[in-house]
Amino acid sequence: MTSAQLEIQLIGAIVAIACAIPGTFLVLRKMAMISDAISHSILPGIVLGFFITQDLNSPLLILLAALTGVITVILVEFIQKTGLVKEDTAIGLVFPALFSIGVILIAKNANDVHLDIDAVLLGELAFAPFDRLVVDGMDIGPKSLWVIGSILLITLTLLLLFFKELKLSTFDKGLAATLGFSPAILHYGLMTISSVTVVGAFDAVGAVLVVALIIAPAATAYLLTDNLKHMLFLSCCFGIFAAIAGYWLANVLDASIAGSMSTVLGIVFLLVYLFAPKQGVFSVFFKERQQRKEVSLLVFLLHLQNHQEAEERHVNHLREHINWQKVQAKTVLELASKNNLIYISDNIVSLTDKGQEFTDEALLYITTNKVTAIEELKERFFLFRG
Amino acid sequence: MKDRLPAIRIDDLTVAYDYKPVLWDIDLIIPEGVLMAIVGPNGAGKSTLIKSILGIIKPIAGSVQVFGQPYKKQVDKVAYVPQKGSVDWDFPTTALDVVMMGTYGSLGWIKRPGQKEKKLALEALEKVGMLEFKNRQISQLSGGQQQRIFLARALVQNAAIYLMDEPFQGVDATTEKAIINILKELRKAGKTLIVVHHDLQTVPEYFDWVTFLNVKGIASGPVKDIFNDDNLTKTYGINYKVAVNQ
Ligand SMILES: Nc1ncnc2c1ncn2[C@@H]1O[C@H](COP(=O)(O)OP(=O)(O)OP(=O)(O)O)[C@@H](O)[C@H]1O
Ligand SMILES: [Mg+2]
Repeated sequence: MTSAQLEIQLIGAIVAIACAIPGTFLVLRKMAMISDAISHSILPGIVLGFFITQDLNSPLLILLAALTGVITVILVEFIQKTGLVKEDTAIGLVFPALFSIGVILIAKNANDVHLDIDAVLLGELAFAPFDRLVVDGMDIGPKSLWVIGSILLITLTLLLLFFKELKLSTFDKGLAATLGFSPAILHYGLMTISSVTVVGAFDAVGAVLVVALIIAPAATAYLLTDNLKHMLFLSCCFGIFAAIAGYWLANVLDASIAGSMSTVLGIVFLLVYLFAPKQGVFSVFFKERQQRKEVSLLVFLLHLQNHQEAEERHVNHLREHINWQKVQAKTVLELASKNNLIYISDNIVSLTDKGQEFTDEALLYITTNKVTAIEELKERFFLFRG
Repeated sequence: MKDRLPAIRIDDLTVAYDYKPVLWDIDLIIPEGVLMAIVGPNGAGKSTLIKSILGIIKPIAGSVQVFGQPYKKQVDKVAYVPQKGSVDWDFPTTALDVVMMGTYGSLGWIKRPGQKEKKLALEALEKVGMLEFKNRQISQLSGGQQQRIFLARALVQNAAIYLMDEPFQGVDATTEKAIINILKELRKAGKTLIVVHHDLQTVPEYFDWVTFLNVKGIASGPVKDIFNDDNLTKTYGINYKVAVNQ
């Protein structure tokens, strides 16, 4: 690996983390689309900033452009508050307006602005290592690494300081307000950081693809955990993975790096969506099937316990009595005997001691409304699950 | 006792959402240490009254004082259990975590909850009988269980005044008894409790103070003095006959 290759991956990974952190909160606040609005409407800010500073990485340009982002949010909220349109409509009204101002500004000044729309929209990570930061004649690394690194540092500091406040105001605005944590301050703080991050990242990954880096890792992590800290951590991991895997994919395909990163993000999301252990499409399907079988088993055991008479416990009678189809009756019978809960002699089914014990306990939990304890009961008694 | 400040003092409060006032010229004094029911028909403005005490809604006229000062200066003295937790139920957080949020107010900005806060939260969960659900993601709780989590969260706020908007909504009879016992205990400890309540039958049994509200304040005072058919009729409009056995 050359040092340029290493630098590209490093920048990609840092951009990904810097995006994943505010992204997690935006996704939880159901504001993912606002990042799309910000990413487009910062264009006029970038162009104006570029007129003034002539340097895409200047802090002044970043602040100016981020300001455009915050103004977007304010405008969207203002339009929304009139009550005439919904939030998505308000977003759709604001950002094309600002974006087109940016496009016109670039077109009108095409001669003296070395800034083309493609670069703004798609970014070019591959060129990042060529724009070096030189201090006192010494080369201290690519400029964009410093820019996005500083932004990440600020984001991380703010996250560590205000994690509790952000969590509370995202979860329950009302309580945050009554406890004295102004939701407005936290909201606009988050919007400012998001805008700054988008501006800092657009140079590397472009204003459009930065949205993927903000939303996709958080949305993927959301499928995997019930813990906000884990969600943040996982978002960052997915982001880093996409940055590095995306780089090598681009290398193999000879394609845009940012495009490949987004593709990787999309694939990862799809895989998690399908295979996530708890909420994934497949596991939900299998778990439901297992649950259905195990509930049938429980019904069956309770029936056995209720009826001492032999004719009620005859294999054939069970089938018609509990109204099960042959296959279902067979799987339930099998599951019960595999777990040593029943024994069959002369086609009469009886509970074993273990089966008796299990049924008694389960019944107790059902009647005392502690159904959750049954799951744990199954863990103790079952050798095989449904 | 005469010279003690009332827990809440409301003067000439008028609140409107659009143009139509939903609360009209309310004067109300709630003494410290009462367990008070607010009763009134749907849309009477009960939730609105509570929200204006909390400053969530800005009144168009009048003032609210909490122990003689504006609410803003007494934030830490007031705990609130909303009518329908307007929270994001799919948020990645557990019952325990939600209850711990009640301690954030006393922590203030930046400082993080530690062992002490966790212990408080666990105790509160125990009190409302939800300890075994502490690690559940909150959307996987039943409505009544969610209600109890919010009650536990209010308990850890360790406030002087508790505002509860229909805490018995959707909870079973056993839980209702458990909650009212907690509330009575809190009152014994000197807290002031203000509870929006719909079940008129249980008012005399549960509460010692009552406020009748229907856009205007109808009456407010000790249950044994003012909880009668006359005030009920004024509040609910129809001729009201409630068997009040005292
Ligand atoms: N956000 C709002 N915007 C406009 N009007 C509102 C709003 N919230 C409540 N209202 C109106 O204000 C009036 C009082 O509402 P409020 O929620 O205070 O009633 P309530 O006494 O709590 O009723 P309930 O017993 O149904 O909870 C109602 O007529 C209601 O329609
Ligand atoms: Mg209400």
